[in-house]
Amino acid sequence: MADENRAIKKPLPEMTPVNRPFWEGARAGRLVMQKCRDCGSWVFCPRPLCVECHSERLEWVPLSGRGKVFSFTVIREVVGRALRGFAPDIPYVTAWIDLEEGPRFCSNIVGCPIDKVTIGMGVEVVFEDTGEGVVLPKFRPGQAAA
Amino acid sequence: MSIRGEAAIVGIGETPTDRLGSKPGEPRKSTAEYLAWAAKLAMEDAGLAKKDFEGQGLAAIYTTSHSQPFWPEEVASILGLKPGVSLAGGNGGASSVSLLGHAAAAIAAGLCDLVLVIAAASPFGERGAHRGAPADTRDYEMPFGVMGPNCKISFVMSRYMHESGMTAEHFGKIAVTARYHASLNPNAYLRKPITIEDYKKSRLISDPIRLFDCVLPANGGKAYIMASAERAKTMRKPPVYLLGWGECNNASYGPRYRSNPLVTGISEAGRRAFAMAGVTHRDIGCLNLYDDYIPIVMLQIEDLGFCEKNDKAFFERTDFTFKGDLPIQTGGGMINCGQPSTTGGMLHVIETVRQLRGEAGQRQVPNVRFGVATGLGAVNYGKNFGCTAAAVLGNER
Ligand SMILES: [Zn+2]
Repeated sequence: MADENRAIKKPLPEMTPVNRPFWEGARAGRLVMQKCRDCGSWVFCPRPLCVECHSERLEWVPLSGRGKVFSFTVIREVVGRALRGFAPDIPYVTAWIDLEEGPRFCSNIVGCPIDKVTIGMGVEVVFEDTGEGVVLPKFRPGQAAA
Repeated sequence: MSIRGEAAIVGIGETPTDRLGSKPGEPRKSTAEYLAWAAKLAMEDAGLAKKDFEGQGLAAIYTTSHSQPFWPEEVASILGLKPGVSLAGGNGGASSVSLLGHAAAAIAAGLCDLVLVIAAASPFGERGAHRGAPADTRDYEMPFGVMGPNCKISFVMSRYMHESGMTAEHFGKIAVTARYHASLNPNAYLRKPITIEDYKKSRLISDPIRLFDCVLPANGGKAYIMASAERAKTMRKPPVYLLGWGECNNASYGPRYRSNPLVTGISEAGRRAFAMAGVTHRDIGCLNLYDDYIPIVMLQIEDLGFCEKNDKAFFERTDFTFKGDLPIQTGGGMINCGQPSTTGGMLHVIETVRQLRGEAGQRQVPNVRFGVATGLGAVNYGKNFGCTAAAVLGNER
């Protein structure tokens, strides 16, 4: 079963004209997000319009990559065939991370024993190459955000 | 014009629930079979027949496995109906409560006199639930191994515990109460009473979510029939009126990119429903809340205004049983009765109708005049529920 699961690929994001800068940024080792030039709001996930004022004047802004864990969960079971590729990783941590500049980002906490992850802990971005042409921003313990 | 008291539920239908097909190769009924069965039961309950629905309203709730663009037409075809008004419930688990308002509006506007609202699903064996996932989920959750709603609600529950100080004891109390009510409901799937210890011993799926926090996927069908208040008076069963209704979708509290996930759209939908009904919290005899997960039941009790946010002491002192201060999940909820995909929430409408008709048997809440049913659907990126709806139902206008 474990070998069979290893053969199943993990889902990868679909590149679109709207989200491409995010994933190109990750490949270049940068965490970037959209910000509205008119009202100053952060826009994430990527959108064609500002969700606050409907302006199209969105720019891609680099972030520090520092943040704090807002909430997290330890995943202990795979649910559904599409995600079976994660079976060999179980148990692992997914978290909502509040980035220093504002936006909340969902990712994994890596490089940390599972029982050491806490709400409020400081984390910093690391870039993990999937080997499939996509680099995923993940987070490891780091300097707590201001 | 308000829809308050303009329409009433005059018939309910609920097929037995099963989990056939959960083992490979096990035969199960199709969605179409459950649909037809539930429709027939609701018509019998109302004392109506197919001919009565000629040119009337039909509302069909999309299921995860049948979200094809012509679903209401397919349902009409399965049932042999020729609706004059066709409504579609595309709000996931909120659809059945959402459609109470949409159907009542169609009736109040004089577009039709009857609406058959139908929900059924046979999810086992229909694979690939993640096909067609919304882009945010597909691109920013699935690549990080987010295991669907179990995991997303774990984020909410984990933060809820952090902010409120609630522990497994608090969540367990709700789970034990719901199972107690299920033990008194002949239609429930899980009927063996449980203790707090049983809850705490149930396995962790995605910390802090345990098995006994999670809904039970199942096959089944449910239906209700709404009629104009005028017509409802002539039916065989006592009418259950829609007195208050509210819907709130894509709710966000705080900045959208950093929304507070502990507040749901029920805070707005519920406020509107109470205002329309003109009732106070003291008037409400039972709450049947959308229960895909135990902590979500608790957030809704808060959001409906029965207590403050994070009010741990309220959950400790309140008796939530049918004999108690604030009866909740009086039939056992979806957690114990099963959830046929996005159609499961109709259970809460049907249970509220049973209570208000005095047909709830051993679990009957004494002297109940008003009840609340809620629905929730879709778990958004970094927020909570995309679709929410709340209704106040009553056995008098
Ligand atoms: Zn803007």
